[in-house]
Amino acid sequence: MTHKESSRRDFLKKLAIGGGGVVLLGKYNFLFGNQPKNGILKAIIVDFDKCTGCRTCETACSAFHHQIEIEGEMLNGLGNPKLANIQVYHYNPDVDIPSICANCPDTPCVNACPVTPDPITGHKAIFRDELTQSIRTNHSVCISCGSCSRACESERTGVIKMNSISNHPEHICDHCGGNPQCVMNCPYDALSFREVDVDGTYFGLSPEEIAEKLFERYYAGEEVVNG
Amino acid sequence: MDNIFGQYGVLLDVNLSTKEIKKTPIPKEDLKNYLGGRGLGMKILWDRVKEPGMDPYSPENPLMFMPGPFSGLPIPSSSRTTIITKSTRTSPKNKKYPHSSTISYANMGGFFGPEVKFAGYDGIVVTGKASSPVYLLIEDDKVEIKSARAYWGMGTDMFDKALIEKFGKGYQSCYIGPGGENVIPYASVLNTAARAAGRGGVGAVMGSKNLKAIVVKGTQQPKLAQHKKYLELLAKARQAFRDDKEGVEYWRSGGTAHALESSSDNGTMAVKNYREGTFKEIEKINTKAARTQIWKRDFACFSCRLACKKSGFAKGAYGGVIHDGPEYETGTMVGANLLISDLEGLNKIIAICDDYGIDIITTGGVLGFLMEARERGLIDLDFLDGIDLKWGAIDASIDMIHKIVRQDGVGKLAGLGVKALAEHIGNGSEEFAIHVKGHELAAWNVNTRAERMMITYGTANRGACHLNSSSPTRQNHNAMQDSLGACSFAGAWYKGDISYRHFIEAITGVEHTDEEFAMIGERIFNLEKLFNYREGFERVDDQLPERFFKDAHTYGKGEGILATHQDFDNWIEAYYKERGWDLKTSKPSPEKIAELGLNFTV
Repeated sequence: MTHKESSRRDFLKKLAIGGGGVVLLGKYNFLFGNQPKNGILKAIIVDFDKCTGCRTCETACSAFHHQIEIEGEMLNGLGNPKLANIQVYHYNPDVDIPSICANCPDTPCVNACPVTPDPITGHKAIFRDELTQSIRTNHSVCISCGSCSRACESERTGVIKMNSISNHPEHICDHCGGNPQCVMNCPYDALSFREVDVDGTYFGLSPEEIAEKLFERYYAGEEVVNG
Repeated sequence: MDNIFGQYGVLLDVNLSTKEIKKTPIPKEDLKNYLGGRGLGMKILWDRVKEPGMDPYSPENPLMFMPGPFSGLPIPSSSRTTIITKSTRTSPKNKKYPHSSTISYANMGGFFGPEVKFAGYDGIVVTGKASSPVYLLIEDDKVEIKSARAYWGMGTDMFDKALIEKFGKGYQSCYIGPGGENVIPYASVLNTAARAAGRGGVGAVMGSKNLKAIVVKGTQQPKLAQHKKYLELLAKARQAFRDDKEGVEYWRSGGTAHALESSSDNGTMAVKNYREGTFKEIEKINTKAARTQIWKRDFACFSCRLACKKSGFAKGAYGGVIHDGPEYETGTMVGANLLISDLEGLNKIIAICDDYGIDIITTGGVLGFLMEARERGLIDLDFLDGIDLKWGAIDASIDMIHKIVRQDGVGKLAGLGVKALAEHIGNGSEEFAIHVKGHELAAWNVNTRAERMMITYGTANRGACHLNSSSPTRQNHNAMQDSLGACSFAGAWYKGDISYRHFIEAITGVEHTDEEFAMIGERIFNLEKLFNYREGFERVDDQLPERFFKDAHTYGKGEGILATHQDFDNWIEAYYKERGWDLKTSKPSPEKIAELGLNFTV
């Protein structure tokens, strides 16, 4: 935790020094197309005061991304929550943390990818898509090293996991092409699709780190002495 | 399984004595006729308990954990799991067998049932008894019986934390606390440390099997019969909730706790061991007080839009407890019913009961009975092992709960419930021992709405139950609803072209006319009744305590209202007639049995 917090602080500091237009250098000193062309980078932002832990977002995400073909028509799937890119973590005392790709402006995941960028697109196996401004992957050049997942885990939310069968990174939010299903379907208006705020209290934090903050926020100073 | 949609046709069948674990096929006909949940569990109970009089604590008593055909699908408010077994709580007035008891079902929200479905099962049945404490670990097809020695003795809150620590994201669990471990007859089963399958002693049966918990993780979903139609229904159902902001807000802003004030105002609340129907200090424990003093956050069960679960913590003398509550049942039974109006104290009692894993409704009934017996001089301080149990006494209530769960002194007797206490104490105390068939009444008092509540409590197949309803049609509907995995709180939204029947058709492909669909609930209710009848429960067992014919409320809206025995006889006979049951014995008629396809019971 200390390591993660310090790396996050360092990041915020750098960002503050450089201002909004800061360009961070990756591991190989390449400059990638990490910054959005129009200057606005969006992500799914959670209002933890409103989230009730119902997991409708998981099912909506999964249903949209794992469609099935019925009589020649592609339809939403059943919404198996295990397949969702957004994952709701539950803790005791009661707090629920929808955890989703933070769409970090400085892309630790992309920076960590050791694959040589494509000479034309500049894309590595994991890259920021120019059109949607979301982080995408190209499995055909992915070497399954897990660097992106480890970078995400150690520096940010830890959302990126390696698929146990394909061994490629998964659970990276694609914003459903601009109309995020989790946001649309949240019954509690706890999710919104808006500009990434690296100064936000919960930006880029892991579910555990957010849970700690929420314990403090809601149940501060109280010891659990059940029984 | 061929041609089964929306379900698997598979029951996870675990025998803790032999350690045999297998997948037992569920006949397609049973899925059609009993759906899942409470209904399918009842059918399996009938199939497995071949002779009446089985000891509910015997290893042979099957304990079933049943999701329904809605479970795991994001149909709003479909999170319920029903636990079914032979009851530890009930007994008929004229015992045909030493261990005569009714069926028992208890129902909980949360996340457990959907996960069982994800693991590839329509239900779990546990028989046998482990030689030492165990828990069941299910990861899809991989099922293991693991040692629970390290967890035995843990309260549900600490255990829940331990499971989150050990298994983390993706796993769901349900478990017993020390109440179940010590086989307190009214022990409950919980998930997420607060959502309880509280009634009817399901936790006691679990404890008698040395089963501390079931932990499950799954990755599957069954194929639906009419996928596109299901998606259309789902979209419409979601819209129906969105369109009814006011209805949804009722639940979100307070849930059942709203009823604390309205029920008190209407004179329908259990107050002072059901002696009164209105609580004079209601404003100290109503939703406004809870919002200000206790509640911090609203929580929802799987895919629910209502979020009626309120968690928070209390400060003050009884503070330092992070827990849910109070809602209507808990707030009334260990609040108004005991004349306890200290909200923090009340919340602490709720937290302790949940941590032990005991039924709060019954606990409130037991404490209320003891307080009244003491007040009347039928028992003294010695009887109570020095616990000064008086109306409104928080510390004494807590002390008694400790004694019950530890089975210490008077706690051993109090742990058996009010019927056993009244039999022991005698001196007319059975008149205010508030139970039907041995099962304590819930937080809705009787006198002000005597016909409705007497039939509701009197005819419930698990013994007194407030969720039973009073008309056969409604009772049948509820039995069907409990068999889907659906939550009764959201039932009102599923009407017209998004009725449960339409969902079942899209999910399973089985088409029913409205009449046929209504018959499913009727079949389930009658099968439960036939089980009870075989155990020796007859008309005399549908009787309510004498209090409700003798003691009119002295103030409030119910003041002076009293039903007579003749009233009750008229009401119950009209009910039996509508049911097609024998007026003398209450047995379902041969015609009714045949009509419902229950000839296998004869």
